[in-house]
Amino acid sequence: MNSKSRYVWAYAMIAPTLLGTVLFWSWPAVYSIYLSFLKSENFGLVNHWVGFANYERLFQDPEFWRNLRNTLYYAVLFVPLTLVFSTFFAVLLNAKIRGLSAYRVFFFLPQVTMPAAAAMVWVVLFAQDYGFINYVLGTHVAWISDTRFAMFALVIVGVWGAIGLNMLLILAGLQGIPRVLYEAAEIDGAVRFRKFRYITLPLLTPTLFFTSVVLMIGATQIFDSIYLLIGKTNVALPAVRSLVYAYYQNAFVYYDQNYAAAIVDVLLVINLILTGLQFAFQKKWVIYD
Amino acid sequence: MAFGKKTWISALSLLVVTALALTGCGGSQSNDGSEASSPDGSKGASAPASQASDKPKENVTLTYTIWDQLQQPAMEAIAKEFTAENPNIKVKVEVIPWGDYWTKMSAAAPAGTLPDVFWMHSGQFVKYASGKFLEPITGKVQAGEIDLNDYAANLGSIYTLDSQNYAIPKDFDTIGLAYNKELFDQAGVPYPDDTWDYAKLAQVAKQLSQPDKGIYGFAAKMDTQTGYWNDMLANGGSIVTADGSKSGYDDPASIEALKARYQMILDKASPTHQQMTDTDSTEMFKSGKIAMIFEGDWRTTDIDGSDIIKGKWNWAPLPKGKSKRGNIINGLGNVMSASGKHKDEAWQFLKFLGSKRAAEITAQMGAAIPAFKDTQAAWVQSKPHLNLKVFIDQAADAAPYPAGSKAYPVWFPKEAEIMAQAWGGKISIEDGAKQVAAMMNQAIADNK
Repeated sequence: MNSKSRYVWAYAMIAPTLLGTVLFWSWPAVYSIYLSFLKSENFGLVNHWVGFANYERLFQDPEFWRNLRNTLYYAVLFVPLTLVFSTFFAVLLNAKIRGLSAYRVFFFLPQVTMPAAAAMVWVVLFAQDYGFINYVLGTHVAWISDTRFAMFALVIVGVWGAIGLNMLLILAGLQGIPRVLYEAAEIDGAVRFRKFRYITLPLLTPTLFFTSVVLMIGATQIFDSIYLLIGKTNVALPAVRSLVYAYYQNAFVYYDQNYAAAIVDVLLVINLILTGLQFAFQKKWVIYD
Repeated sequence: MAFGKKTWISALSLLVVTALALTGCGGSQSNDGSEASSPDGSKGASAPASQASDKPKENVTLTYTIWDQLQQPAMEAIAKEFTAENPNIKVKVEVIPWGDYWTKMSAAAPAGTLPDVFWMHSGQFVKYASGKFLEPITGKVQAGEIDLNDYAANLGSIYTLDSQNYAIPKDFDTIGLAYNKELFDQAGVPYPDDTWDYAKLAQVAKQLSQPDKGIYGFAAKMDTQTGYWNDMLANGGSIVTADGSKSGYDDPASIEALKARYQMILDKASPTHQQMTDTDSTEMFKSGKIAMIFEGDWRTTDIDGSDIIKGKWNWAPLPKGKSKRGNIINGLGNVMSASGKHKDEAWQFLKFLGSKRAAEITAQMGAAIPAFKDTQAAWVQSKPHLNLKVFIDQAADAAPYPAGSKAYPVWFPKEAEIMAQAWGGKISIEDGAKQVAAMMNQAIADNK
């Protein structure tokens, strides 16, 4: 078979995914950049080219900077906490204990629970007057409507929901570590913590790198828990509003799609930079064998 | 060779499947709107039949989209009766909840897939009418097919833009004071009546409150139509000035009314804004934790459906203010899409929706206060154990919902966001009101 028909064959094989990606991801992304340079009227049927006006307005808007700070603050709390807890539980569930699959199912359940349904339960748990969390702690904190605590409530819900999948990924990484390394370490008299520190952790770094990249992108796109838990008449909304929530408000509540497009385009650039940085720094800590 | 003829065929078929899947997606999208109105019943019939539009008895299915699930049974009953009179026109009643309704409509409008007939709200009307997405009915009105004077409280004039008529009034709603009889009885306080003023409301609210038990006299919620707009009007303030050119939020009378409402939270006569964010205040009323609350008549069926409060509550008129008895009247309209495929049939249905018979069905099923004159009594009788008459009586001196401008959809959602800061105690009520006024004036200037 000649090389040309090989190419055709290869393209035919990737066509379904490629078409889907271009149609539903790349094209909207490009179109949103185009939209951010327009001022649309009458449901987008009349458009005027306004250049960088939307971006100028964005960078002069103190609310934008606050939303950006909120988004990064959430990511800074969410990503490390998720990594630490996922690794912790993955290591525990990598041991040979009774009822192992039951535990794995248990920890994976949040992943397969509908976010809306889970949020409803969290709203009740966080409630000030009759909430379970205040009952257990003996406090009277308005978890989701006090500006000082709302962000922590969101991080708790976020980490709770993210542990399942990331634990599974890390578990897969753990099982890829050859047993012989541990046996050799045991002969040398290494204790449990030292085995974790000098064998498990270094060999887990490729998995941790992958999960941290995906988690970071996910964290900067936080929306649903703000929408479901905080809500639009909550006094704490400005203290937790993310860029994507601001996008939603502008696009679908205020019907200002152009300004909304500018917000997500800035987020796109931020994510490209963050991911680029992560790749640049991976040489410092990720160990590929 | 591994890449033989067979693999080629399977690769090609994969492509075909993908193409089919993608076109399938496109097809189902347009199904949401007017495409759905293509003759479902004529599946067996030959294709050319549907093209012959001059044929009088073509089978047609119209889509009628509404946002209130509680009214679905009544709307379906109307549709059924319409089909009985017009056997060739079937109507599919579709419910999109209020939270998604306008998002869906704003996507459907430019795509040309608006439902054949749908509910219109006064706040959204101007946007859709000025964009030419609604079919004007001026010609039909002039031809005498329908008489807009048949409808109460001047409702026929709401949906008018540049002297064109676009909607047939469906219903109207006003606000009442719901009270928990049991909590009044326990405290030995007489029930609210039409002699009450705002001072009396505040005094009784304090008297009935037992904050340690989680029971409050009044829900001083941060809400517009079923909240402080009524207070502002009663106190002599305004929401927007009569000519629509300026916000009324910074009027001292408006600010005084807002402060008086907020004071009830400070007096512990009402739950805090935080508490009402955790649990919707009407839900608190339904579970017997609130003695009094302002609500719209449209919540009657919902509140009465609560086993806890059923039989223990009733409606009273809103209290009198310094200047008058404030109330907001709003009327929904039925409109038809300008890009519908079966406009003649849609008009037939729209006309029937505006008929006295449709109003009677709406009233008897207790769905809403019908707009058609002299059909309201049946609605009042639909729940004889409740004093529904207050809603009809208050309509006379109620102020219209302050929509009807291009600026309204811009300032309304932002209003809630600013007032949430004031109600949550982050900024003073006065600052909140002034910020809202500045924001509204900007929105009015930007959307002349």
